[in-house]
Amino acid sequence: MKLSKLAFWGIALTLMFFAVGAMAGEIKGTVAAQGIRSPEGIIVYVDTIAGKTFAPPKESAVMDQKKLMFMPHILPVLKGTTVDFLNSDSVGHNVYWPSVGGDRKKAHNLGTWPQGVKKSFTFEDIGAVPLLCNVHPEMSAYIFVAPTSYFAVTDAHGEYTIKDVPPGKYTLKTWSEQGKPTEQPVEVSGAQTTANLTVHR
Amino acid sequence: MSSSQKKSQLICKALVLLAGIFLFVCVPLVPTAHAIPYFARKYETSCSTCHNNFPELNDFGIVFKKNGFKFPKDEETYVKQPPTLLGAPAQKQVFPKVIYPGELPSTIPISFRYSGFLTYNSKQPLSMGFQPRTDLFTPNTFTVIGAGTFGESLSFWIDDDISVGGSGANGGLGDGYLRVNDLGRYIGLPKQTLNLRFGQFELDLPFSQARTINPTDYDVYDQSAVAGKLGTTNNPLMLGAPQRGFELGGYADNWNFTWSVAAVNGSNDAPATRNFKDVYVRVSQQFNLDRNPAVRKDVQASGATGLHDHTSIRLGGFYYYGRNALNTDQTQFSGFGTIHEPFYRVGGDLRFKCGDKFELYGLLMYGRDQNLIPDPNTGFLLHGSPVTFTGGFAEAEYWVYPWLIGIMRYDAVNSPTDFLNGEISRFNTRNRFSPGLQVLVRGNVKALFEYQRSWEKPAGADNLFFRPNSFLAGIDFVF
Repeated sequence: MKLSKLAFWGIALTLMFFAVGAMAGEIKGTVAAQGIRSPEGIIVYVDTIAGKTFAPPKESAVMDQKKLMFMPHILPVLKGTTVDFLNSDSVGHNVYWPSVGGDRKKAHNLGTWPQGVKKSFTFEDIGAVPLLCNVHPEMSAYIFVAPTSYFAVTDAHGEYTIKDVPPGKYTLKTWSEQGKPTEQPVEVSGAQTTANLTVHR
Repeated sequence: MSSSQKKSQLICKALVLLAGIFLFVCVPLVPTAHAIPYFARKYETSCSTCHNNFPELNDFGIVFKKNGFKFPKDEETYVKQPPTLLGAPAQKQVFPKVIYPGELPSTIPISFRYSGFLTYNSKQPLSMGFQPRTDLFTPNTFTVIGAGTFGESLSFWIDDDISVGGSGANGGLGDGYLRVNDLGRYIGLPKQTLNLRFGQFELDLPFSQARTINPTDYDVYDQSAVAGKLGTTNNPLMLGAPQRGFELGGYADNWNFTWSVAAVNGSNDAPATRNFKDVYVRVSQQFNLDRNPAVRKDVQASGATGLHDHTSIRLGGFYYYGRNALNTDQTQFSGFGTIHEPFYRVGGDLRFKCGDKFELYGLLMYGRDQNLIPDPNTGFLLHGSPVTFTGGFAEAEYWVYPWLIGIMRYDAVNSPTDFLNGEISRFNTRNRFSPGLQVLVRGNVKALFEYQRSWEKPAGADNLFFRPNSFLAGIDFVF
């Protein structure tokens, strides 16, 4: 009897888990760019959800410096994520940022380190982090620290897909290097929700 | 202070104010420069990777130049414009049955430079003739620069002033040379210990005249030896002028030790006028003063906030020996053959750098030319007083910001012969103070200001002397 009760609840919980998973949808769409060079590399993300927190991933994200370039150019991460900064070049590099989300008090300089060594930093503040190198001023990249784990980066056609978003009403926002932020409400109710946005310069 | 001096000061202040307004208006109006000189294009990197105030080089730029215009390590990984191959690398195995495979830069390795200045001069006595107080955009110069590599072993540099205004209006070729890199590897020497360059080039001077940040020359580099009414010496050699010949040179101790030996015509940037070839020798040693021994060996010093130039002291010395020739066609002094007048220049230099913020450097030099006077009565050559001079300069640069540099320079030349010939200066010593300011409006665009408080010179009448002070303001840009 006890065994059958255990089995019942085990199966029920498993079914509930998959049901919830099956109910989680994705937000897809296209971001149109007006007045900016390209719709590629625009971050689309779900803004802060009241009462909900997200555990940062255990695995670090990676930002490399190779051939006098930051790679990747745009790196979205969840708040609380640790980013490993590598130097794969045989020349010296430096990494610093003048602000986080426009707040200059959050400026930070990681210093310099030789080829093959990494330095890590955990980003606890939400917003865009413009990465610079004070040895090579043409180098730049952006880390975007998102408030939720629901984010994506547009491809060359401006298309994006945010996966595993539970049903609910949210605010969808954008951040891009050249354009102004945009936002629009979105409701996820089925397997797929379409949300198209426009980013202006 | 006389009323004319007060007036001069007032006008100078007005010009400085105008310059400030010019900058205030122009700095936001100058469009973002997308066009960049060739090396910046080749590696898609900023001018400041190699320059701290173009054309002056930072520590990385100095090593880039010493390495034959290549990155110190892993050059191929940084080149964004792969070269055009003139033969597959594997053809090296087939040589000498084929032409040894080389490379061409994939884009034409050319940059351009323009500099133009307005000048404001002190009022010149009429006995010296009329000179306008101001001249808008004289001097001005347009230069074409081609430089780069033909593969790993060959590097080149060519620069030519193709349009020049004002003094020195002849323009013409500056440097034009080919360099064979790393000859020493064939005899087991470490990398870049032995290189060879030939053509026309500025000697391995302690401080470049051709690529100085100053709008005016170092006076001692322009000093030649002329006896005038005191003898026969008439040596046109100017140490700061390009020379034609070849040079062996190299580096050691993590690029900090430099040596060079050159054999040159000694006739500046002109064809040879005599058989004897002059010799120039230079050595220098840089001592990096960083505390960390590992950092001392690096190309640049690493710090808590990034990379910067080493704090360092560099000491050097140079020696130039030649034999000027007179009466080569035996018509100037009938009955005498060619008259050889040995001469030498010797000097030492020092440079102190404090990271990226401050630089103090200077040079002292002594020159001596033999002065042989043919005596038609005896048929012998008499030893006249040798033509000698001493001189040098000291300069300090301070980076208020990476784009704002204050400069103070002092030049001095002591030439008894020039003084006795009575044309150049009031006293034996000619000295000049030149404070200046340079503003990097962009990485490749610069505004320059320099005031010269010059020495007194004869003003065309007895006991009348004049100090030809001047103020220069102008622009210098490269693309």
